Amino acid sequence: MRAERYGLEEIRAGLRLSDIYWVCWRELKKFFGQRTRILMAVIQPLIWLLFLGNSLTGLTRNPFASQMLGVDNYLVYMTPGIMVMTSLFGGIFGGLSVVWDRHFGYLNKLLAAPISRAAIPMGKMLAAAIQSVIQVTIITIIATILGVRFACGPAGFLLIVAIVFLFSFGVSGISISLGAVIRSQETLMAIVNFLTMPLMFASNAMFPLEAMPAWLQTIARWNPLSYAVTPLRELVGQGLWSATIGKGLLAMFIFAAIMSLVASRQFRRSIA
Amino acid sequence: MVHAGTAAPAIEVIDLKKTYRGGIEAVKGISFQVEKGEIFGFLGPNGAGKSTTIMMLTTLIKPTGGRAAVDGFDVVKEAYRVRTRLGYVSQDLAVDDNLTGRENLILQAHFYHIPRSQLKARIDEVLELVGLRERCDDRVEFYSGGMRKRLDIACGLIHRPSILFLDEPTLGLDIQTRHEIWRYIEKLRSENKMTIFLTTHYMDEADALCDRIAIIDRGVIKAIDAPSALKDQLGGDVIFFRFSDGSGDAAAATMAALRELPGVKEISQHGEEKVVVARNGDLLLPQIFEAAQKNGARIESVTLKRPTLDDVYLAHTGRALREGAGGKEEFRRQRMAMRRARR
Ligand SMILES: Nc1ncnc2c1ncn2[C@@H]1O[C@H](COP(=O)(O)OP(=O)(O)OP(=O)(O)O)[C@@H](O)[C@H]1O
Ligand SMILES: [Mg+2]
Repeated sequence: MRAERYGLEEIRAGLRLSDIYWVCWRELKKFFGQRTRILMAVIQPLIWLLFLGNSLTGLTRNPFASQMLGVDNYLVYMTPGIMVMTSLFGGIFGGLSVVWDRHFGYLNKLLAAPISRAAIPMGKMLAAAIQSVIQVTIITIIATILGVRFACGPAGFLLIVAIVFLFSFGVSGISISLGAVIRSQETLMAIVNFLTMPLMFASNAMFPLEAMPAWLQTIARWNPLSYAVTPLRELVGQGLWSATIGKGLLAMFIFAAIMSLVASRQFRRSIA
Repeated sequence: MVHAGTAAPAIEVIDLKKTYRGGIEAVKGISFQVEKGEIFGFLGPNGAGKSTTIMMLTTLIKPTGGRAAVDGFDVVKEAYRVRTRLGYVSQDLAVDDNLTGRENLILQAHFYHIPRSQLKARIDEVLELVGLRERCDDRVEFYSGGMRKRLDIACGLIHRPSILFLDEPTLGLDIQTRHEIWRYIEKLRSENKMTIFLTTHYMDEADALCDRIAIIDRGVIKAIDAPSALKDQLGGDVIFFRFSDGSGDAAAATMAALRELPGVKEISQHGEEKVVVARNGDLLLPQIFEAAQKNGARIESVTLKRPTLDDVYLAHTGRALREGAGGKEEFRRQRMAMRRARR
């Protein structure tokens, strides 16, 4: 009987947001403590924007391509893609921190503490999501400087943030779930790299679906990346009032929720 | 568990087993009890199952057989309760390099839900105990091995656990730091009435610190008792001595007289060397000289050897504990150095 009561106690502790907060605090503290990582977070999107913006603007001089992209400035087309790719990279390596924590014994320290085990993945996912939001803010500033006009305005920017947040939260959930069972950094890196490239190219992040062969289009339509890119692109290109934005938000929300459950389950199950 | 709360022993282990996936039987059914306020040591070589036992008791891995209770709470069914009561300092130096010492402690304090109002006082208290006050705002990256270990121990103490688990607390540390850590451990027991469970493969550590020790080898407990009792069980002290040349009959008479002395258990002779096994050898020495004098014999040399835990260990496992210990330490130091050099 007592066992049941204390089981409940642990479940109640699972709702303790402070545990999630402090796991996240640690991750962010590490992030901000490493100057190179912050620098990379700024430079990477800058390079993407400058490089792709300059080398591919020629595309939009071709009326056919311009029509396919739906915009007359390739940067307007690319900015949402870069936002999503940046959050993809930000999130997909989240599992590495689990592997490191296990390697240095810190994971055991967390697991021996009276915190809900679900707080560990959730805190790390939250940290990844916050980092992505920071990067997307930087991208927005750089893109604006480069002449991209955000059709959605400042209110729409909040929607962009929400979508990016949920997307990155979910993606890091995938990685962290893998990190809960994969003990070697090399293996995890290999799997993550194997996932990233197809996710990126089989989506509408860089090129419009219409430019793809039919089979690739089918894959791209189901790709969670496309679900994030499409509403962002409409926000940037068309404005706030577009039908797919609600759909995109909902899809991201479901994605994030599912990955929270999966990652929490992984930590309760495989580590105990 | 039958008896929770104050009446329960600090740790109660009954036929505990752990077989890892892949079939390694790390712990093969061990039973013991640790009383409140006791310092209890697990002494054993590499791979004996020390860490595995500690990880079962700290709810990090699930036993595959038997049961265990900490402070009266079952480590499987009441794992959450157990976690609130114990402090755990692993063998891994698990402090976060990217944070300062203080930040490490702040995190730990929040994971144990220490009220904000007490936070600073608690942190200062443990920093004081391990002597890290001055360096607490430096990044751990720049700490020495001994400082890391002290910080790690401080982390384990922040919530004032009633039972502290220390897995090889002085592994790879220099003599001075080891003695310092022994001091903290003794202080915790005497001032805070803490129960301490530690593992070690250092004989002197087990001998100096522990009220009782369990000798564990290949997942089996070979003996449990106070270090002095374990040594006594070997039969007692051994005295070696030689008579001067030409003692002859006087020597024989002396030997006969020795047989009658209290505490003498066994007398034997290897060539010129006489061997006496006895309890309280230190008290026997003057009596041997007296007997020799009375019988007109002269003793040329004498040696008193008291059994060490090494001898106990050897007797119970058929192997010397020190074998390979140096190599292992070397290996661990190297591994640690490699870890630190990762960036
Ligand atoms: N996760 C694991 N999976 C499989 N086998 C394991 C695992 N952890 C430990 N073992 C094995 O279990 C045995 C006991 O290991 P354990 O770590 O408990 O020993 P130990 O007494 O702590 O040794 P050391 O002094 O080296 O720390 C060893 O043979 C080890 O290889
Ligand atoms: Mg060990």
